[in-house]
Amino acid sequence: MPPMGCPVGMKAIRLFASCVTVKSQVGRGRLFSDRPLGGGGRYNGFMSHLLELKNITHRYGPHVALKEVSLSLPTGAIGLLGPNGAGKSTLLKIIMGLIQPSQGSGVVLGLPLAGNHLTLRQKMGYMSEADALIQGLEGVEYVTLAGELIGMSRRDAQRRAHELLTFLGMEDARYRKLEEYSTGMKQRIKLAQALVHDPPLLLLDEPTSGLDPAGRESMLSLLETFCQQYRKSVILSTHVLGDVERVCSTVVIIDRGQVLRQGRTADLKTIRQDHYRLQLEPVHKVPVYIEELKSEGVDVLDVDRQQTLSVRVPSGWSSRSFFALADNLGMAIRGLERDDEDLDQLFQRLLRSPAAGAARPALAANGVAAP
Amino acid sequence: MNGESERKSSIMKEEATKTNMDGHLDGAGVDSLTPAAPPAERKQPIQLLDGSGYRPWQGRLRPRWTSPWPVARVALRIMLRQKLLWVIYAVSLLTFFVYFGGIYLFAQIDLESLTQGRATQAQVRMWTDIKLSLQKNLKLTGDAETFRNYFWFQGYFVMACLVLAGSIVIGNDFQQGSLPFYLSKPLHRWHYLAGKCLVVALVINLFTTLPALLLFLECALLEVEYATGQGRVFVGILGYGLTLTIPLSLLIVALASWLRKTAALAMVWVGLLFFARLMGNFLVDGMGFSRQWRLLDLWNVMYVVGSRCLGVTAELSRPESRASGMPSPPRLQPDLTYALLVLGLVVLVSLFFLHRRIRAVEVVH
Repeated sequence: MPPMGCPVGMKAIRLFASCVTVKSQVGRGRLFSDRPLGGGGRYNGFMSHLLELKNITHRYGPHVALKEVSLSLPTGAIGLLGPNGAGKSTLLKIIMGLIQPSQGSGVVLGLPLAGNHLTLRQKMGYMSEADALIQGLEGVEYVTLAGELIGMSRRDAQRRAHELLTFLGMEDARYRKLEEYSTGMKQRIKLAQALVHDPPLLLLDEPTSGLDPAGRESMLSLLETFCQQYRKSVILSTHVLGDVERVCSTVVIIDRGQVLRQGRTADLKTIRQDHYRLQLEPVHKVPVYIEELKSEGVDVLDVDRQQTLSVRVPSGWSSRSFFALADNLGMAIRGLERDDEDLDQLFQRLLRSPAAGAARPALAANGVAAP
Repeated sequence: MNGESERKSSIMKEEATKTNMDGHLDGAGVDSLTPAAPPAERKQPIQLLDGSGYRPWQGRLRPRWTSPWPVARVALRIMLRQKLLWVIYAVSLLTFFVYFGGIYLFAQIDLESLTQGRATQAQVRMWTDIKLSLQKNLKLTGDAETFRNYFWFQGYFVMACLVLAGSIVIGNDFQQGSLPFYLSKPLHRWHYLAGKCLVVALVINLFTTLPALLLFLECALLEVEYATGQGRVFVGILGYGLTLTIPLSLLIVALASWLRKTAALAMVWVGLLFFARLMGNFLVDGMGFSRQWRLLDLWNVMYVVGSRCLGVTAELSRPESRASGMPSPPRLQPDLTYALLVLGLVVLVSLFFLHRRIRAVEVVH
């Protein structure tokens, strides 16, 4: 893969070269470039990987927004999970070619990141976290503009805008000014402009931000439909774990510019199967029971006010052993359950982990917020 | 309003119904750029809306160099919806009508026929005074000086309008976060810039070049030999228009992308073009500094270059300029070379700034 980044002079030459190419096409009477588009699922059939990034680092001045991020993601719905300022939006913008990484390389939709940013954006739909609306425009004008900017003819873009707005339930609001829209409508129209050219990949930055429960449910259902029915790939950047659990088959957890964990959502949720929670009585014998557990190699992680134990068992441990020990001490087990970690707990644990913590002080000192 | 929207809605419903049934619209209103699709493609079955109502799209895209056009068209539409623009334009038309009427009057006053006819001595004297005034003070003879002065007088209106254009067309994109919307499309930042500059250029020329060309047309219609005799003036008008368009459009786009808010933009713009003029005049006329200090006044710098495009000197004799009773250009003017250098510098600095500024990512310190 070619290295990322090129001097301004090279960019100018490349831009000039692209203009010359277009001129020569026009000269031969080809008003339209050979840039067919659409058929959202096309890429899914041929590509096992949606994107591959290698050692991507990006700096905003002295602030390191992304640090040696390497990712290999399959097609489908991917959740980019992390707290505010983790580098999710920066990563999305690198994938789109909106910013060039300071270091590293990557391939997205089969195209190298370097030098293909315009082609890549043509194959993507981006829904930004910010409003990104143009004041003074009507809804249908906004979506039409998005289509025209992609390169669709005005007639195609208009027709597509009407279709999408009807599909998204905004038929009655399409002639209203954008500044009169509610938050939910703004989110939907942002989705419409991302979908206008039917791209195979959608990049969604906090799509449920500011939505009420019904609006959120509606948006997530829509995304599920696109992923499952139309086999579109979606990269969903969010800090809402529920959204990722609901829609995404793959999750990438990112914090302070570093990837803490990536994998299938289901795998990450069940990664911890050696934890149990126990409730015992009588309560006054619990300390003795704890001592016995420790002697058997069980780690007691926590004891709460109700004397409920959180424990991690060694490999080969059988849950029957809990009962055997309690029986020996004349105790009864009132409750025993597996303490599987859900995505929320995994997320919180990873954020507390030393790997995440190590990057924190150095980055916090910079005081620079990435968008 | 509701009736209008219902009417639009019903029209679009009809259109959508047609689309769903036929898969495509009738030939009326076909985009001129639409290519003739090969027969094989035409016969492809059209995908109808499925159960969920979503229809995949397939089609060909236009070349990227056409991207500035939709940017410009939408910005222009927003701009033309501003009532304030039309108010300023209406006021600026007063200058145009003064010139239009003056040129007509000058061409129509025939002193020879007046003296040979029934006109009294007093009437002849009055008409002679009017004609002399039109010729010497207002310079409404239709020559290069007429257009030079016209461009100068339009300056205030152009400046006022550019604040509005900068704020609405560019400032809002930065303030409302619309820039990532544009740049998330397969659009180079220079495409975006070209689209925005195109709108600003159109506004500038709507106030200056277009009415000047209409005045030229009037002169040509009033006098048969005018168009052939004053061909240089026609080229000069276009040259002056270009001299205003390039630096001003880049400068206002750069300033608007930096300042964003209308109030801030207006203050800096007034400072740049009004107080700089006062300062230049004070230094040269009041303090006796070199006339090159007038380079501080950007509108005057463009006036110097534009005058040369028209083939006339930029310097006026003081009595003439005062007699017209209108704000006139200063008497002592800087050298053309320096004026060109200043304009070049403005263009380069604006381009450099815009290259750094037009990005989809903003770093917050």
